[in-house]
Amino acid sequence: MKKPNIAVMYFPGNNCETETLKAVKAAGMNGMIVRWNTKLNLSEFDGYIIPGGWAYEDRIRAGAIAAKDPVMNAIRKEAGKGKPVLGICNGAQVLIETGLVPGLKDKVEMALAPNINPFISGYYNTWVRVKNVGRKGAFTNALGKDEVLHLPIAHGEGRFVTRDKSLIKTLEKNNQIIFQYCDENGKVSDKFPITPNGSTMAIAAISNKKGNVMAIMPHPERAIFERQVPYSAKTDKKTDNIRIFESMKNYILKK
Amino acid sequence: MIQVGRTDSELILISGMDDAQLLDFMKKNAISLKVDEARRAAGLIGRNPTITELHIFNIQWSEHSSYKSSRPVLKTLPTKAPNVILGPVEDSGIVELGVINGEKYGIVVSHESHNHPSQVVPYEGAATGVGGIIRDVLCMGAKVIATADPLRFGNPNGKEKNRVKYIANEVINGIAGYGNAVGIPNIAGDIYFNESFDENCLVNVVCLGILKEKDIIHSYAPKNSEGYDIIVVGKATDNSGFGGAAFASLVMDEDAKDSNRGAVQVPDPFLKNVIIRATYRVFEEAKKKKVALGFKDMGAGGIMCASSELCSDADMGADIDLDRVHTSMDIPEFMIINSETQERFTWISPPSFTPRILEIYNEEFELPNVAEKARASVVGKVTKAQDYVIRHKGKVVCNVPIKAITSGIRYDREAKEPKRSLKEPKLKEPKDYGKAILSVLSHPNVASKARCYNHYDKNVLGNAVIESGQADAGLIKAVDGSKYGIALSVDNNPRYGRISPYYGAANAVAESMRNVAAIGAIPSALTDCLNFGNPEKPESFWDFKEAVKGVKEAAEGINLYRTKYPVPIISGNVSFYNESKSGKSIDPSPVIACIGVMKDYSKAISMKLRKKNSILFLVGKRKDELGGSVYYELNGELGKNVPKADFKAEKAMVYSVIECVGKRLLLSCHDISDGGLAACISEMILGGNTDGKIGAEMDIGFSKLPVSKTLFSESSGFVFEADEKKVPMILRIMKKYGIMPIILGKTIEDGRLIIKNKSNKIADVRIADLKDAWTAGFGRALG
Repeated sequence: MKKPNIAVMYFPGNNCETETLKAVKAAGMNGMIVRWNTKLNLSEFDGYIIPGGWAYEDRIRAGAIAAKDPVMNAIRKEAGKGKPVLGICNGAQVLIETGLVPGLKDKVEMALAPNINPFISGYYNTWVRVKNVGRKGAFTNALGKDEVLHLPIAHGEGRFVTRDKSLIKTLEKNNQIIFQYCDENGKVSDKFPITPNGSTMAIAAISNKKGNVMAIMPHPERAIFERQVPYSAKTDKKTDNIRIFESMKNYILKK
Repeated sequence: MIQVGRTDSELILISGMDDAQLLDFMKKNAISLKVDEARRAAGLIGRNPTITELHIFNIQWSEHSSYKSSRPVLKTLPTKAPNVILGPVEDSGIVELGVINGEKYGIVVSHESHNHPSQVVPYEGAATGVGGIIRDVLCMGAKVIATADPLRFGNPNGKEKNRVKYIANEVINGIAGYGNAVGIPNIAGDIYFNESFDENCLVNVVCLGILKEKDIIHSYAPKNSEGYDIIVVGKATDNSGFGGAAFASLVMDEDAKDSNRGAVQVPDPFLKNVIIRATYRVFEEAKKKKVALGFKDMGAGGIMCASSELCSDADMGADIDLDRVHTSMDIPEFMIINSETQERFTWISPPSFTPRILEIYNEEFELPNVAEKARASVVGKVTKAQDYVIRHKGKVVCNVPIKAITSGIRYDREAKEPKRSLKEPKLKEPKDYGKAILSVLSHPNVASKARCYNHYDKNVLGNAVIESGQADAGLIKAVDGSKYGIALSVDNNPRYGRISPYYGAANAVAESMRNVAAIGAIPSALTDCLNFGNPEKPESFWDFKEAVKGVKEAAEGINLYRTKYPVPIISGNVSFYNESKSGKSIDPSPVIACIGVMKDYSKAISMKLRKKNSILFLVGKRKDELGGSVYYELNGELGKNVPKADFKAEKAMVYSVIECVGKRLLLSCHDISDGGLAACISEMILGGNTDGKIGAEMDIGFSKLPVSKTLFSESSGFVFEADEKKVPMILRIMKKYGIMPIILGKTIEDGRLIIKNKSNKIADVRIADLKDAWTAGFGRALG
């Protein structure tokens, strides 16, 4: 079977493209880093990842300028065909700013607001746990229901908020809330430090209604191998986080 | 070719000025050369200088650029060993990592200071410090893989507390703001507070890179490079940072702070992020086409310093046309050539490859659209005649023998031992040892720095194996597809230096090596950033010389693993003129970084206790050495008996620990330093993330010292945890090195620290209380 080919986007200011591409490859897919001004035909890729960093310096708001970049129109079109699109950290901010997530109306419905954290204001890098609370979607089909993942966050603006309070109910009903912050035993809590940024309902990741576009604030690509996880054995054995990328592969191959 | 020495500019007739007039003229033009230096420059040129030339000598002969006071002393440092690929001669040093798949890899290391800018505008000062060090490493042809930040701030409870807290917070924000955005993980660092830094903080920064030896790009033009292009790439040149090197070489004048602000550069990590990636692309392309290039960071002295050194070190000259330099404002010629505008590099490229470089930066990575007027521009040519020629608007504004610019000047400074009135205090034993332990743990110099390093990105790039705070050193995976790891630790306790600059330095070398050894890595190279007061004062210069001697003797005394060679010093920096406006020097602060190599990172261990019922060992004799200790400081004393690194003993400890970790005999290990044995064991219980649950029970009956001295002496040593089954093997290895470890006690399921003295319980503290003390101290200092 042909390996899926993934475009890992690089907007000026992104900085997680290398390790994201490594995660793609570790999950058994092909991929390449694609610059924002690429001359390649994006429709030739099977899936897309918008990695972390500071796309366009986060001018105006995190992700706001990249969301307006012409390549995002191309990606929007491919998402409409059902191809998987994953936004990690700054990439998640871009997807929220394009309106692709949650994608219920043709406009920006949510925001990723500055963290609320009693310990450090602004940028915060630490290890958290998240629970898979969504259905078996494009990025979770290889994960067990309620499975807990251990991975880092690294952001200053990761608090999912919405002006329309009923939206959260709709997201819940539609199974669009994919990951929530939780403790070691999988107990979800929106309190610090379990939720490190004050995110509404402890949300760490949400998807569009179809489930093929996901915005996730924590960084699974930084915790693919055991050696990357604090105090674990320093081996090159893969962690459960790889299954987010393996899910993406399964989803593409099944389509 | 133009006539030697000919210029079209007006000459400054310094030969006709008396000393007072000349001084006045220079002051008005923000030139800080001494009168005799200006006359000496004219002598080297062979005529009166132009204003541009005078500015050039002002920068090149500053202490920062010329090392004019320090060079003869620095020459005594050991820089050679079989594992050195490049010593401290170019922008960074390079030490061998190892041979992987038939290719020899090198670790590129640079270590710098950004002290004065950080005192004036702390956010930008600290940020540009990170930006500059990344350029130093990148320009060797390396992939940039890690940074670390040793920081020194004033007393957070002293008379300057508001300013101190402001500076500390802003410096940390600046490092985060730059390093996080560029995307280089911060893997190590340390922070000390004391009143000697009230008016002069220290912001040092270390950066690591990785490359194959054959891919090194040197900071000089290739052989036979006559006619090669000189290319300036990056941000458009402006007036920011003009005279930065000269500023770093002056005592800071509080009243002149506003005028000095212009000497601080403006950071742009966003542009740097893109330039780094574009530059990696140039590296690849040059390798593919087998093109030899010269490449240099533009820091102090801007275009002038980079281009003159690139050409001079290849025994060539340069001819530069300032009209071809991309600028963002209309500024005079001496500013264009000397400005320290950030995010710029200089390439030397054969004309056949130049279009490709321009294409990569200007089109593929669209620099002009990433930052206003940023780009790559050809600005001049390498010449055979060894002259440094600058043209501006069709006129020659500088024409000087290039070696006159680059060979610098020397001073033999006077050194005189300062009077230090030191005495040992007579303290009563504390009534409650548990309380004493908690107050040591909450001292900001001991307390957890999580609030700082969790503001830094520690795991971007996905290469971190041990992150900041989890162990005595950080560890990163070095090369894809291999198990090699690179360890990094920084160290210097300023209060030791206050008592004895020699032992302050020697202890820093020894401790940085212990830190690297504690995770199992082999100390392979050192760098030194030597932060001192005014070298024109004999007392400060004596401190400096003593510290260098301490570095030298420690590096030579604790040899490179299994060799007779010293642990080589491969990079460094000197920062003088760190003093208060009243003329009081900072504590002598030779900050040392140790780079460790680990062949198999899967063997690395951290400081966190791993399981109950394992054995706790102590190596390193507890001595009556509390001079400069946290315990004395909490009692308002400095003391006299500073820890005296015994190089033979250090060597035995360090190499026996490495061997034990290498054979997977230890579960966790921590070096004894600030706060002594009591702080050491408490930190092992807590673990870096303060989520430790395993307790410890130990008996200090082995020690003949008073209890407080046993618990809080900062004499060097290690505490490690091992499974009982491994004890005979550990003892065998230790014996080989002449070490008889002491069994301190064991780990316990109960979450407490229990300390006994000859079976009498003298302290019993819950983990929750240790945690509260250890996590609160640093936040209080900042907040």
